[in-house]
Amino acid sequence: MSMLRLRQAAPALLLAVCLLAITACGGTEYPNSTFNHHTDFNTSIDALWDRLLFWGTVVFVVVELALLVTIIRYRKRPGGPAAKQIHGNAALEITWTAIPAVILVLIAIPTVKTIFETQAPAPAGALKVEVIGHQWWWEFRYPELGITTANELYLPVGRTASFELKTVDVIHSFWIPQMGGKRDLITNKTNFLWFTPNADLASSAWNGFCTEYCGTSHANMRFRVFTVQPDEFASWAAHQAKPAVYPATDSVGSTGYVFPAEMLPEHTVPKTPIPAGLEFDDSLLEGGDPVAGMTNLMIGGCIGCHTIDGNPMAQSPIGPNLTHIASRHTLAGGLFPNDAPTLARWLKNAKKMKPGALMNVVGRGEYEPLIKANVDGGLDDKQIADLVAYLRLLK
Amino acid sequence: MATIAAPSLASAGDAYAENSGIWSWITTVDHKRIGTLYLWTALFFFLVGGFEAVLIRTQLAQPNMGFVSADTYNQLFTMHGTTMVFLAIMPLSAAFFNYLIPLQLGARDVAFPRLNAFSYWVYLFGGIFITVPILFKVAPDGGWFGYAPLTTTQFSAGINIDFWVLGLQILGVSSLAAAFNFITTVINMRAPGMTLMRMPMFTWMSFVVQFLVILAFPVITIALFFLMMDRFFGTQFYAIAAGADPLLWQHLFWVFGHPEVYILILPAFGLVSEVLPTFSKKPLFGYNVMVYSGIMIGTLGFGVWAHHMFAVGMGAVADSIFSLMTMLIAIPTGVKIFNWIATMWSGEIRFTVPMKFAIALIGMFTIGGISGVMHSSPPADLQQTDSYFIVAHFHYVLFGGSIMGIFAGIYFYFPKMTGRFLDTTLGNWHFWLNFIGFNLAFFPMHFSGLLGMPRRIYTYDAGQGWDLFNLTSTIGTYILVVATSIFVWNFLRSRTRGAVAGNDPWGAATLEWSIPSPPPEYNFAQIPEVTSRYPLWDLKDPAKTAGIEHSHADAMTITDAHAVPMHEETERHTAKSLGIPMPFPTAKPFFTALAMCAMIGGLLVMRTGNMGLALAVMIGSAALMVGGLYSWLTSPLE
Repeated sequence: MSMLRLRQAAPALLLAVCLLAITACGGTEYPNSTFNHHTDFNTSIDALWDRLLFWGTVVFVVVELALLVTIIRYRKRPGGPAAKQIHGNAALEITWTAIPAVILVLIAIPTVKTIFETQAPAPAGALKVEVIGHQWWWEFRYPELGITTANELYLPVGRTASFELKTVDVIHSFWIPQMGGKRDLITNKTNFLWFTPNADLASSAWNGFCTEYCGTSHANMRFRVFTVQPDEFASWAAHQAKPAVYPATDSVGSTGYVFPAEMLPEHTVPKTPIPAGLEFDDSLLEGGDPVAGMTNLMIGGCIGCHTIDGNPMAQSPIGPNLTHIASRHTLAGGLFPNDAPTLARWLKNAKKMKPGALMNVVGRGEYEPLIKANVDGGLDDKQIADLVAYLRLLK
Repeated sequence: MATIAAPSLASAGDAYAENSGIWSWITTVDHKRIGTLYLWTALFFFLVGGFEAVLIRTQLAQPNMGFVSADTYNQLFTMHGTTMVFLAIMPLSAAFFNYLIPLQLGARDVAFPRLNAFSYWVYLFGGIFITVPILFKVAPDGGWFGYAPLTTTQFSAGINIDFWVLGLQILGVSSLAAAFNFITTVINMRAPGMTLMRMPMFTWMSFVVQFLVILAFPVITIALFFLMMDRFFGTQFYAIAAGADPLLWQHLFWVFGHPEVYILILPAFGLVSEVLPTFSKKPLFGYNVMVYSGIMIGTLGFGVWAHHMFAVGMGAVADSIFSLMTMLIAIPTGVKIFNWIATMWSGEIRFTVPMKFAIALIGMFTIGGISGVMHSSPPADLQQTDSYFIVAHFHYVLFGGSIMGIFAGIYFYFPKMTGRFLDTTLGNWHFWLNFIGFNLAFFPMHFSGLLGMPRRIYTYDAGQGWDLFNLTSTIGTYILVVATSIFVWNFLRSRTRGAVAGNDPWGAATLEWSIPSPPPEYNFAQIPEVTSRYPLWDLKDPAKTAGIEHSHADAMTITDAHAVPMHEETERHTAKSLGIPMPFPTAKPFFTALAMCAMIGGLLVMRTGNMGLALAVMIGSAALMVGGLYSWLTSPLE
């Protein structure tokens, strides 16, 4: 019988756990929660969710209670009543067909309303952002502002951001749980999504994810979103639109607004471990020579894929745009922090750092699966350190 | 156990002693032995799929783990889904279709016994074909849903996806052949007096499922055929450079994929609809409505596929229509739940192991149903789809529903299949550990999903608020390993050492319990005439069924000379001594199936670049297959 009691208690326990967790879901310990009303989009979704959760809980309680009461009350007991041979009851069956139907109507009406609201064209004056999926990183373009960046998205609060979603390869999906629902990036097609970060939102950082399985490093296709004040956004945008000129005092001196590193919440700072067996002499980074580094951009083959506006040699659109790479907080699809030692290792052997990465292995002597051999040209550690010194100046 | 009839059969364990040896299994066309083969094979694949899940959960136990590589993980989750859907749950249902449909109908075999054997062998070879690559780390890695363009050669050049695209086509042949077979059986081979509306509920639900298979599998076959042509012969159905629309694949896949969900769950619904009345000592509540709701679920199941695609941007109108259609399905499903509870209401409930699993299905499937309604609302679904919330949902449906129902069926029908009971103590341990492990493994996924964890990721970063939920899921999975091990031990041990069961150990109502356990090769020495839905209760306890309509079969429909009034058969004869003609054993279906799989598998040889050899294999096997078929079709059945 103790077993029976456990069975009875289980759903009640589950419900308790469920409610406890739901109440806790808004807290800071759940930094990717879908329940917060940071945008108009997510406010609409969460209103629907509350209704779904309410009716779901009602149905759950009614069904599980009915089940438990039935099996307890009608368990076979010595001297208990004999089973009644009932074959059905039309009135009852009509009742429990009708009640769920009514509940579903109560869900369906706001559902359809919300569908049409959230899928309406974006309001006028929205900030246009092109989101372009690549295996396994994100390209963000602001066509009106002349900005192309990667893996880090800046959005001004209080202004609608209207996304045009595209992909150059397989299907991806664009999701920022704290900002609202996701939308797929479909090959040969443009999808749309818009939301407005609340005007009273403090400047904050969020995580974004790819949520459509897209191959080997699907898990490593992450991005960061910075919702910032309009003046901060304007400052960031003005600088990002400029070409990087090196050597130039302008580029080094004023960097425009960048979301301050010390304000980054813990969950937006990547903690991916550096894979074992990838050695780099960090002491070389101290004396890296950016001028030599600029040359190494060509020796290493970097210009085959990357663009650096202001550097006429580097104009290829295949890989992430590096014009202002040093102003970003993360590397490699949000997988690593963007600091000199990590950048050096990434340049040396990207494929070891990130499974399946399409970036060539640049480090001399490192194994390149593409050619099934070790790289015998490439860059040695000193040359990589110089290249790092150059890239670190591209603020 | 007090109510169980005294054992009446001493030689339960060696019913087939005269008929053993590997060759007898290869040549068998007996639906019961084929059912047994299905059961063993599917249980084996269930363990394989479970082992894959253990590796997956170990990798996800903590953030940034390096237990398996990204590529291995992607193969594991692809194969876990593929294995559980196509190689475990569907064939476990098929084991029951095979074993039970003829017995419940009062037939001596299925309509096409040799086709039945062929279905099994195709399934076995297809299963091996698609599973073996994982041992060499070249398993399919495009997900069980295989979305193009990721699965085209441009993005998946390796041999991995080839195994998947060919293997699923092979398995489709098996399912389709079986479906036509069972439909023919149900339509033509019912005992005299067994009208459609007197069929046992399991047979009814199985009957519905066969139509779903026939209508759904051709669609995925087309999708797979296109992909195969793209991968091997350079067509451009999914070639994005040629302007292909990747949604073609998604629509074709889900037009199959959603009915597939009902293909997986309806047989389990049928099984618990047998178990619940038996252990409540009551007839099924609202039989007619149970039949209609099953048909409704199956029908509506074809109009909801795009609810898997709310994030692809179909537009507000399409989203709304598919949302409303999806909500509609909740109604017939809810009716089933309430009717099951009403079946137990005012009964005398015996908490046997199969009954516990059946009750667990009601309780757990309900949770899966509720979360299902939650993502039938497209805006809400945009926060849920492709997150762990969905993983939680469909495990409540497929584990809490299908697997619980199938376990109920195994404990319930094991005495009929083997003549012996599964051990009750071990069964209780299995049930409770399974129940606890299941909830620990899958309930936390609701939270990790709504708290932002995407699906199909081989790793996740620390500090995302998902650690505790993932660790709990992993612990739950390990408890499931213990539970399943107890079941396996019980299953192996009870075959020879379980308590002996008689004809009707549970006091059930349907025809399969009126004959010895295990049934003799001919099933029924004399085909009984059925006068109501509960023929065995009519015989043993007429008071129980006094409240429903009884009628004798129209004399015109009694064409079988052996039809006699409802009776119990306790003696065991041979078909020969009774003069009952039974189909000859034959290995022709086995070799035909083997040749067909070799023919399709021959495409893989193309990957070596040796076209001559590839053509030789394909044409050679095709010739063997045609020869096998010819010889099969021109040899008499019995």
